[in-house]
Amino acid sequence: MRILVIVSQTQDTEAKIEVVSSGDSIDVEGMKWVMNPYDEFAVEEAIQSKEKHGGEVVIIAMGPARALETIRQALAMGADSAVHISDDSFADSDSFATGKVIASEIKKLDEFDIIFTGMKIIDEESGQVGIHVAEELDIPHVSLVSKVVSIDPSGKRVVCQKEIDGGHVIVESPLPCLITCPDAMNEPRYASLPGIMKAKRKPLKTVTIADVKAEELGLTPQSLGKEGARVNTIEIKIPQIERKLRIIKGSAEPMVKGEEVASAARELVEVLREEAKVI
Amino acid sequence: MSNEVWIVADSKLDGSIRQVTFEALSEAREKIAGKLGGKLCGVLLGSGISSHAPELGEYGAEKVYVIDNELLKNFNTEAYTIALSELIKKHEPSIVIAGNTVFGQDYFPRVAARVGAGVTMDAIKIDVTDDNKLRIKRYSHSSKAIPTQVFHENYPMMTTVRPNSFKIIEDSKTPEIIDGGVEINPADVKMKIIELKTKESERPELAEAERVVSGGRGLSSEDNFRYVYELADILDAAAGATRAAVDAGYCPYDMQVGQTGKAVSPSLYVAIAISGSVQHFAGMGSSKVIVAINKDPEAPIFQKCDYGIVGDLFDVLPPFTQNVKTLVSEG
Ligand SMILES: Cc1cc2nc3c(=O)[nH]c(=O)nc-3n(C[C@H](O)[C@H](O)[C@H](O)COP(=O)(O)OP(=O)(O)OC[C@H]3O[C@@H](n4cnc5c(N)ncnc54)[C@H](O)[C@@H]3O)c2cc1C
Ligand SMILES: Nc1ncnc2c1ncn2[C@@H]1O[C@H](COP(=O)(O)O)[C@@H](O)[C@H]1O
Repeated sequence: MRILVIVSQTQDTEAKIEVVSSGDSIDVEGMKWVMNPYDEFAVEEAIQSKEKHGGEVVIIAMGPARALETIRQALAMGADSAVHISDDSFADSDSFATGKVIASEIKKLDEFDIIFTGMKIIDEESGQVGIHVAEELDIPHVSLVSKVVSIDPSGKRVVCQKEIDGGHVIVESPLPCLITCPDAMNEPRYASLPGIMKAKRKPLKTVTIADVKAEELGLTPQSLGKEGARVNTIEIKIPQIERKLRIIKGSAEPMVKGEEVASAARELVEVLREEAKVI
Repeated sequence: MSNEVWIVADSKLDGSIRQVTFEALSEAREKIAGKLGGKLCGVLLGSGISSHAPELGEYGAEKVYVIDNELLKNFNTEAYTIALSELIKKHEPSIVIAGNTVFGQDYFPRVAARVGAGVTMDAIKIDVTDDNKLRIKRYSHSSKAIPTQVFHENYPMMTTVRPNSFKIIEDSKTPEIIDGGVEINPADVKMKIIELKTKESERPELAEAERVVSGGRGLSSEDNFRYVYELADILDAAAGATRAAVDAGYCPYDMQVGQTGKAVSPSLYVAIAISGSVQHFAGMGSSKVIVAINKDPEAPIFQKCDYGIVGDLFDVLPPFTQNVKTLVSEG
């Protein structure tokens, strides 16, 4: 089975987020870059599928030179080869352009059975790229899959479970198909030391704007990069919510104990009624 | 292109229409349609849903396009994508809006790609600029940033909107009901829903709730989640959970609040035995009042809540719930 995974590198949103002085983008100075956490689930699912059905896992990532770290991590986890679409003209492209370029490279690969990708990227949180790729390739997609129930490579079918409000659905789709991954569908493995060593020797192809032939995709140089985006960010604000931080603690130790419990409970209910006016 | 503004209805499994649709109609009427001078229209897609069309008129829809087709049963992504894309190509609206539900997240980007639209997801504010471009605000960076985004020359301009972001304001109209006249070729629908399992819940839906009571890993069993449900029911609140609690099997997945799960913005959020991770806060950090009960004084949640008790939930919750009960029953 030929399994593709579309991965990207993202800003680590556990960090403090600040806006640059022009006010329209996030300050990435000193930012830690990590594999998009949802893509870790995608890579893990791909490797597990390969372990079950045989075949190979191919990583596809678009991004600047630093994205190589993320590609190496995926290879070290157990993927077999990678395509890195790297060119400054792609920087800050919107989800459409990104989807089109990634799809065009996928079309140049040999046949494939299934594509996994993350449900969204945690910095921009656009949640569209994977679905655009599927549309561009004219294959079905199943989003937010909580569990891949079964893959039948010879019968060319996949069955997935997807959570909906108040329950779940089981969806059957023909292959090839693109699946977007939320968290918790599996336990992403860590890259082992031998894995990291091996990753260095795995095939890695680098693709640039010249290889992509943007014009043939209906993408003029102007439609790539920030200028070509269909939607522009004009301003970014950091939400500031002042919290009251009125915490009731115990007297002898931090936890309320014994008699303190009842009075703490009473006090909290009182402030929620009198001060916060929410009950 | 027409200057119609479309709100695509989000239906529940029983065909009834979700609140988010009425919220979007109310907000788009005031902030968009008025300014564009365009008609506010509803779009209703589904199987056996036609009778719900007039409901969209109660919130200002002057026209409702209906596509009632057996293939649209159970939210089949491919069928919906075809239906909405064809309808857009036929009538060329200027703006198309739907709710950012599990389903909206699924088919809306696909429709946008098919019709060549610009699209954003999960907007919390919508209006138009002086030159009639859609302008939205949404969350990014695990909800630590709020970008304002403006659309370009790609039409229609499409966005999903976050439930519970706008006030519902009635404006009763008798809408013109129009058969969308879109054919769906069964051969183009290759995906199949082979099972659909739902459980009725008496509690309010998370995304729409005014109050939410959530439990975390500290509840330590499915059975103990009754503490969460009991308080939720007294407060007429929705019940939520962290991913750690869902993962451990203490409660169903659709209760997950956070970056992956539901985004909520209630007036009261009670977090029981929840540490306060970035990912959990991405889904509830904008709640008006946050209350935390946690036994660890160092838990990050105590740095970002309004009220709290450092204590064992099994000690604190029974008297707390009892006090709330007394208060609520006194009115
Ligand atoms: C890509 C990605 C997406 C994610 N998406 C989400 C998401 O959507 N939603 C989400 O919630 N998480 C999400 N997470 C997981 C998140 O990082 C945290 O692991 C999770 O939120 C922790 O849940 P918790 O607070 O219940 O558990 P913990 O962090 O383990 O905290 C449990 C708390 O309970 C307290 N406690 C224990 N026993 C008691 C007691 N008897 N009385 C009182 N207090 C007690 C402890 O002091 C502790 O603070 C995501 C993670 C990743 C990587
Ligand atoms: N530049 C990129 N290169 C490869 N994959 C990407 C890129 N941007 C986004 N993706 C993938 O698409 C998914 C959705 O991202 P997004 O639509 O940007 O939120 C992510 O989980 C990634 O796997």
